[in-house]
Amino acid sequence: MGDGEARPRRALEGVRVIDLTWLQVGPQATRLLATFGAEVIRIEWRERKALDFIRYVPPFAPDHAHAGGGRSQGVARGRGIRGNYDRSAYFNNTNPGKYGITLNLNHPKGRDLLRRMVRDANAICENFSPSQMDKWELGYEDLRKVNPRIIYMQTTGLGKAGVYKDYVSYGPTAQAFSGLTFLSGLPEPRPPAGWGYSYLDHSPGYFGAIMLLAAIRRQRLSGTGCYIDMSQCETGLMLSGTSIVEHQLTGKPTVRYGNRMPFRDWSPHGAYRCAGDDNWIAISVQSDDQWRALVDEMGEPDWALNACFATAISRKQNEDDLDAKLTTYTLGCERYELMNQLQARGIPAGVVQKASDRFDRDPQLKARGYYVDLPHSDIGTWPIEGFPAKMSRSFASVGGPTGRAAPKLGEDNDFVYGQLVGLSDTEIAALKEEGVI
Amino acid sequence: MNGGSLSSSLAGFTILEIGEQPGDHAALLLAGLGAEVIKIEPRDGAESRRIGPFASASRDPEESLFFWRYNLNKKSVVLDVDQPEADQVLAGLASNADIVLHSGEYETVARRLPLWRELAQANPRLIVCTITPFGLDGPYCALKTTDLVQMALGGIMAVCGYDPDNDLAYDTPPIAPAMWHSFHLGGEYAAVAIMAAINFRELSGEGQFIDVSVHEAVNTCTEIAIPTYIYSGQLVMRQTARHAATIITHARLTQSADGVFMLACLSPFEREQRALAQLADQMGITHVLSTPEFVLEKDDAGAAALYRNDVLVQIIEGLSADELFSRAQALGLAWSPIRRPEENLDDPHFAARGSFATVHHPELGREIRYPGTVANNGQTPHFSYTRRAPRLGEHTNEILRRAGLTDALAPPSPPRK
Repeated sequence: MGDGEARPRRALEGVRVIDLTWLQVGPQATRLLATFGAEVIRIEWRERKALDFIRYVPPFAPDHAHAGGGRSQGVARGRGIRGNYDRSAYFNNTNPGKYGITLNLNHPKGRDLLRRMVRDANAICENFSPSQMDKWELGYEDLRKVNPRIIYMQTTGLGKAGVYKDYVSYGPTAQAFSGLTFLSGLPEPRPPAGWGYSYLDHSPGYFGAIMLLAAIRRQRLSGTGCYIDMSQCETGLMLSGTSIVEHQLTGKPTVRYGNRMPFRDWSPHGAYRCAGDDNWIAISVQSDDQWRALVDEMGEPDWALNACFATAISRKQNEDDLDAKLTTYTLGCERYELMNQLQARGIPAGVVQKASDRFDRDPQLKARGYYVDLPHSDIGTWPIEGFPAKMSRSFASVGGPTGRAAPKLGEDNDFVYGQLVGLSDTEIAALKEEGVI
Repeated sequence: MNGGSLSSSLAGFTILEIGEQPGDHAALLLAGLGAEVIKIEPRDGAESRRIGPFASASRDPEESLFFWRYNLNKKSVVLDVDQPEADQVLAGLASNADIVLHSGEYETVARRLPLWRELAQANPRLIVCTITPFGLDGPYCALKTTDLVQMALGGIMAVCGYDPDNDLAYDTPPIAPAMWHSFHLGGEYAAVAIMAAINFRELSGEGQFIDVSVHEAVNTCTEIAIPTYIYSGQLVMRQTARHAATIITHARLTQSADGVFMLACLSPFEREQRALAQLADQMGITHVLSTPEFVLEKDDAGAAALYRNDVLVQIIEGLSADELFSRAQALGLAWSPIRRPEENLDDPHFAARGSFATVHHPELGREIRYPGTVANNGQTPHFSYTRRAPRLGEHTNEILRRAGLTDALAPPSPPRK
């Protein structure tokens, strides 16, 4: 680029990523690279078992959704699985901004073609079972011979190296093993509540993006490659807070404490039931001043003036009683009204928002333009969860370089194989014929 | 050529870190990649020094384990930012810095923005990242929050908790998984955005401003809840130690023969059903999973799922957690005991991977092992932590002298606790 031309506005201008990831944990990291402008080429294969399982996860866009349409809810049925794999809500939300191609890695010519693509790529990411890529002779040691500068990130539950290298894991498995499941929930003897989703299919994606961005910068400056053996369990350990440190000092086992706050003199501290069906508000009282403001807001009921609730220490000592009595008040309150009244008095309080609240109502997310409308080539334009930061100069949008939601299966074969890889029309036709692409 | 571990990839970068907990986590991650992190603290210490647990009953701000855990490798400079001379010192420090990371409540951060803008004009390569509860604009930006309130508003609480009763009514509250995950999420996204800004600066020579919203960061992390609602209008329901879903699924949390809760993932795939049948056979449990009459249903709530679950419970109750773990894994079942975090300290797997960083604490005369990486390069972890968290003002003289600022402001002596 010469002087006088437009300066690059994308942090990952000219960066190409071969994306063999699937499910959630791998695609999360590459989603972030696309957000900064990288060309992420997502590779799948047409056989049912080789497709990203997320494509089969309901719900699907309703039958009437079409390429030129917008968001409109309705029934999805009658298409069967094959008819729906380009219509999954969750897949569409997980893979915006990426190019989509099909490539048969069980075919020797498919593996040759992958090696050819790796030659011109900055990074390759995968989250197959630990030894799958080695079986295809496409592991890091194989691919660095093709491209010594390549960055190779492999994400697995426990890690490619180590005693449990052959063990299998879903997100919840890694959460259980690392301790995050144990830490969530009401005190024993209640069982842990754990996580209502695969937290460790998400956070390792953020950590993965951090490392890929560090490796890409180093590669650009010094031409060096990088191998990243990413472990979801290690990520879980990184996110286990102070528990492991405390145990080394006290020798005592970690305990669960529900929604309470044992690490500060904050009380009451929890989720309290409000009027309506399964409606709750989180309240965190951080000081005696805030407590007195809460008592005032409640209209100074007799129970709240009792000396046993006068100080943070005494409130903590009587927390079961406190929570029960506070609930008698919150039960009569509309949740958002109560949140506004407590906030007006400087008390940290927030509605336990359901998805409907966050999508239809949350005025902050609306004002910040958090959800991003992106078109999909079959089902039209749908809101996609956005990137949670604004950047003043460089591009940061989940629509990535494609400006689209998720790609249809093989949607970009002609563009990628033709323009990016440089195959001729005849070569592409032959590869299609042979079942390679 | 393999460039080796990334743990020195940010060597030469200087980060000024000011403020609260999401910033602690963001800067911790960048410090693990080799950046020098200078933490600016008020005279009585950063807020995170007041978070327990503490190393002793005195609750000394030098003994906050929260501060220890989230401030490894960092340096501490005491600066009373409310004094008029402070801006001059901050300007002097920022002129030699690559990144300013300011985390805190909206009012606190917004008050400092004009100074950062001025410094960015003088140093166009400067990257300024703010982390605030809701971002720097919008109707909620000045709301008061804590980790719990962010987990509530951001949507994670609504999908975590315990099963409802048979009428789908809940008698237990939604749960915020413990250990500061809204700070984690805000901090991780800040680190992601900073790394992108560093890449952009290498191309363009330009720094920039980054405005991270913890609320939005939490919102990104509820998996299927939002797409499900947008496309189908349905809400997912929270369920004990398994995925929230629009239906109540059958898998039950069961204790092993030695009393450990097991996380026994069981997907309705043929491969997993065969493995389950094999495990039952090994244990002499009679079942009909392998008969032609047993029809595999893909529905998590169907009769077949209920039956599979009954077999699973018998298996779990019949073996110890260790045996279940190794025998299920040998058959390709992704099962795990629900461990306490500390049970991993002496696990040979993590020892082999170098997952824990051993850090010397001279004041204690001992070493503490901290979770220290999320990945390695085949030999070496990609993050490196070698120095304990700084004592309050431990590096004030060193840093101010290096910046030629010794005359600007006499460093105040650290206070009594």
